[in-house]
Amino acid sequence: MKVSNRKDLEKLKREGMASLFPGTIKIMVGMATCCLAKGSDRVMNALENEIKKRGLKASVVPVGCIGLCYKEPTIEVIQPGKPKVTYGEITPDKVPQIVEAIAQGGVKREWVLYRTDREKLLLNGGAHAYCSGKISVLFKGPHEYSDIPFFKKQLKIVLRNSGYINPESIEEYVARGGYFSLLKALTKMKPEEVISEVTRAGLRGRSGGGFPTGVKWLSCSKAEGKKKYIICNISEGDPGIGMHKSLLESDPHSILEGLIIGAYAIGAKEGYIYISSGYALGVKRMEKAIKGAKIYGFLGKNILNSGFDFTVKVKEGGGAYVCGEETALIKSIEGEWGEPRQRPPYPAESGLWGKPTVINNVETLANIPVIITRGARWFSSIGSEKSKGTKVFSLVGEVNRVGLIEVPMGITLKEIIYDIGGGIPKGKALKAVQAGGPAGGCIPKKLINLPVDYESLAQVGSAMSSGGLIVMDGKTCMVDVNKYFLSFLEGESCGKCTPCRVGVRRMREIITDICEGKGKREDVPLLERMARLIKEGALCNLGKTAPNPILASLRYFRDEYLVHIRDRKCPAGVCRPIRTRSIGK
Amino acid sequence: MMAKKMVTLRIDGRDIGVPKGTTILEAARKLDIRIPTLCYHEALTPYGGCRLCLVEVTRNGVTQIVSSCGYEVADGIEVKTETDMVLEIRRFVIELLLTEAPEAKVLKDLALEMGVKAPKRFKARNELCIACGQCIRACREIVGVSAIDFAKRGYEKKAASPFFERSQECIGCGTCFTICPTGAITLKDLAEGEKTVLPDGIEVTGPARIIDNWKVGLEMKRCKQCGEPFAPQFQLEYFTKKVKLPEDFFDVCMQCRAL
Amino acid sequence: MESFDQSAIDLIIGKYGKREESLISILRDIQSQFGCLPKEVLQYVSQKVDLPLSKIFCIATFYSSFSLEPRGKNLISVCQGTACHVKNGEQVVNKLAHELKLSAGEKTTADRAFSVEKVRCIGCCSMASAVRINQDTYGQVTRNSVDKILKKYRKT
Repeated sequence: MKVSNRKDLEKLKREGMASLFPGTIKIMVGMATCCLAKGSDRVMNALENEIKKRGLKASVVPVGCIGLCYKEPTIEVIQPGKPKVTYGEITPDKVPQIVEAIAQGGVKREWVLYRTDREKLLLNGGAHAYCSGKISVLFKGPHEYSDIPFFKKQLKIVLRNSGYINPESIEEYVARGGYFSLLKALTKMKPEEVISEVTRAGLRGRSGGGFPTGVKWLSCSKAEGKKKYIICNISEGDPGIGMHKSLLESDPHSILEGLIIGAYAIGAKEGYIYISSGYALGVKRMEKAIKGAKIYGFLGKNILNSGFDFTVKVKEGGGAYVCGEETALIKSIEGEWGEPRQRPPYPAESGLWGKPTVINNVETLANIPVIITRGARWFSSIGSEKSKGTKVFSLVGEVNRVGLIEVPMGITLKEIIYDIGGGIPKGKALKAVQAGGPAGGCIPKKLINLPVDYESLAQVGSAMSSGGLIVMDGKTCMVDVNKYFLSFLEGESCGKCTPCRVGVRRMREIITDICEGKGKREDVPLLERMARLIKEGALCNLGKTAPNPILASLRYFRDEYLVHIRDRKCPAGVCRPIRTRSIGK
Repeated sequence: MMAKKMVTLRIDGRDIGVPKGTTILEAARKLDIRIPTLCYHEALTPYGGCRLCLVEVTRNGVTQIVSSCGYEVADGIEVKTETDMVLEIRRFVIELLLTEAPEAKVLKDLALEMGVKAPKRFKARNELCIACGQCIRACREIVGVSAIDFAKRGYEKKAASPFFERSQECIGCGTCFTICPTGAITLKDLAEGEKTVLPDGIEVTGPARIIDNWKVGLEMKRCKQCGEPFAPQFQLEYFTKKVKLPEDFFDVCMQCRAL
Repeated sequence: MESFDQSAIDLIIGKYGKREESLISILRDIQSQFGCLPKEVLQYVSQKVDLPLSKIFCIATFYSSFSLEPRGKNLISVCQGTACHVKNGEQVVNKLAHELKLSAGEKTTADRAFSVEKVRCIGCCSMASAVRINQDTYGQVTRNSVDKILKKYRKT
């Protein structure tokens, strides 16, 4: 069944197309972790039973996450010749009515979120039209996808297939352009040309400081030694966002294809996909994807008849946030505790088992096939001056539309929160947005027009990191949130270096005192000093970024700390020991 | 014999040429420039954890603060061992460690030298282990027994014997005790007839070596000739097996053998 | 001393190979099968893979997914993601600890019926704060709903 050339791949594509857009009714059910947590598997069972009961000619298939988390469980119905219809908040008891409506050739208006008339196909170019000619009046009612505020300002590059394909179908992945980029890279481009394209695209690492991917690849490809490794880092670590998990579960091949192209570019014959602990479903999906890729010859020897060999192994972590850091990740793969080390030497020079190694974030790799097929010029036309392309964010917290979104870099925070996110629930006021999790910083309401890109976030004391945006209203106490972050970091510190092991712990103790009304006047300057020195003195990026949240909060919400210390009050009403104490010195 | 490639660098305004593979700390020592250290030992591979030996390095126009013990020199780098920031961080490191092990002599000495006062804001711990890992690296790299390693992570990270129980591998050589910079490891030799009960209930009678940290009590072997106890029985058995010596090799102690 | 099924361990070691590289994967499988990493099992692994027991203990105590102590019959995972924290995730943990009479640092009840662990993100941010008990996920959990949720599992 090996795919050896374009002709074979086109054949696989046709199979996939027939599966994506069959001539019969198809119902897609979101089956990523967040959907499952809301009972989408029960919805799927109910659908299968109902269809069987009615003898309806229809298929029910699992898909990944469409990002509409606040409306999960969602299902999408494709009826030949009619617009695709998306339903939200579906429970098993609603299933009979929906299936009834489908059997009648219509829709169950009550639960419809929107319809899709035409679906853009990013890699193939063009679009798939669900319906031709006049749209029946039944379907005209719901808004079309392109009008939906949640989606309007999004641009799905990384999430191009998420929610559209069965994550376990390699054919469907190919149908939407998958593995054509690999074919182009391996058969029409030299490794240097691949690196050059990625460099000109301006792709930057999608976590951490956003190091230019092409530059990293170039330095590794030039490094001494024949044996090289490439590693995909899937360990978002940021407590409270699941975008890596979602991508892994929804479209594992996009990651794999990017990895293989990267391996070709740097000359690595072996690779690892490092997945942090707790991603059981994701691991299962990736193992299946690898198996499928092997069968079709996208992995193994002489891939696509190009003479390039590459094999990959999945490695699960043991559970440590620090293993998201490159050097600690390497140690973990080597079977050690996640011990970071100083750089230089950089992994590109000396990494896994001392060999030149490229470690790329999962989101970074998922962009690669698109850059190869659509080109550097197209990719670099998206985003801001120094931050090209898009970024996937987990938009959570006090926002009406919680979900997984992908937006062009440079979009403003205001647009994300209000246009896409639908604003703060119950008309409350925005207080701040935490970007970058424990490595980032809060952005206060007054900076709402901030464009979201690497430079702008860094300038205000925040960070992109993996892409968490946690929206906070007045009920959030900034001191408490920082106690939370410091506690998290304290628990995740590997313990190697003094500034992080002892410094973060001491900072957490001080902030706990402040939350309990035991803060002292000198605590604020002390925290600032400690933060500054930990930032400079810590060994790795866990320690170096650990002070970011507190530094940002002291910059923008200093008063809140002072009120806790001086007046022993918690303005947001969160810090409990203070609330029950008598107010006043 | 191939000569090692030489590298030229500048430390505190002074140029020096050293073989490739030399660390900044080693190069500095060649120039008699003193950089304080805690987790470093010339007989062990560098760890780079204490962050006391920090220096400022400029390489290809980029300036970083790095630990000198593990940074291999490169041509043309410029090192400054006492910039304001470097000194400030070193003092901070000692301050933090004083909140952990205020009674450790080495820390008190360094504090005095650097003009650091123990911070009063914190209700500190009063232990001696500063997680420098020297005992672990010594046991692994010099002795080759690996009886101990780090346990736990973060603030609770400490050198420990497996399960915090009596180590089954420790040969009582005392290298860990000798190398520990803060005296966190206690070793004592029980006198003849002296008894003690180890934490797991095992009774040990002197002459014996007791290392509290690894809950170890090893009875000493007596020399068949002079009758003096000279080394833990278990240690001698270990060597006998490892080097494939005759069973009675250690029946006579080294001193008697020399005579 | 409890005995254990050596052949099960041999199978796991055989799956990944007797290499240092395989250590974490071997321990993960053991944790999954046995529910924890028993001392005797780790001693056996040390022998079979020829790695120091001290190193194995180091790894077993460094990573969060390993537990030296057996976990309770019902495993309660409380999401400690930021979104859940902001929606009073900490109060839920405290209430659980209170209801199950767990003292500070204790993770498993004396009768081994329940274990509570904090996890980083269950992935249900739209249902903050979220708690998972065995295979069931609960959303919008508050300190007031903890009691009712626990009742279901107390019966079994």
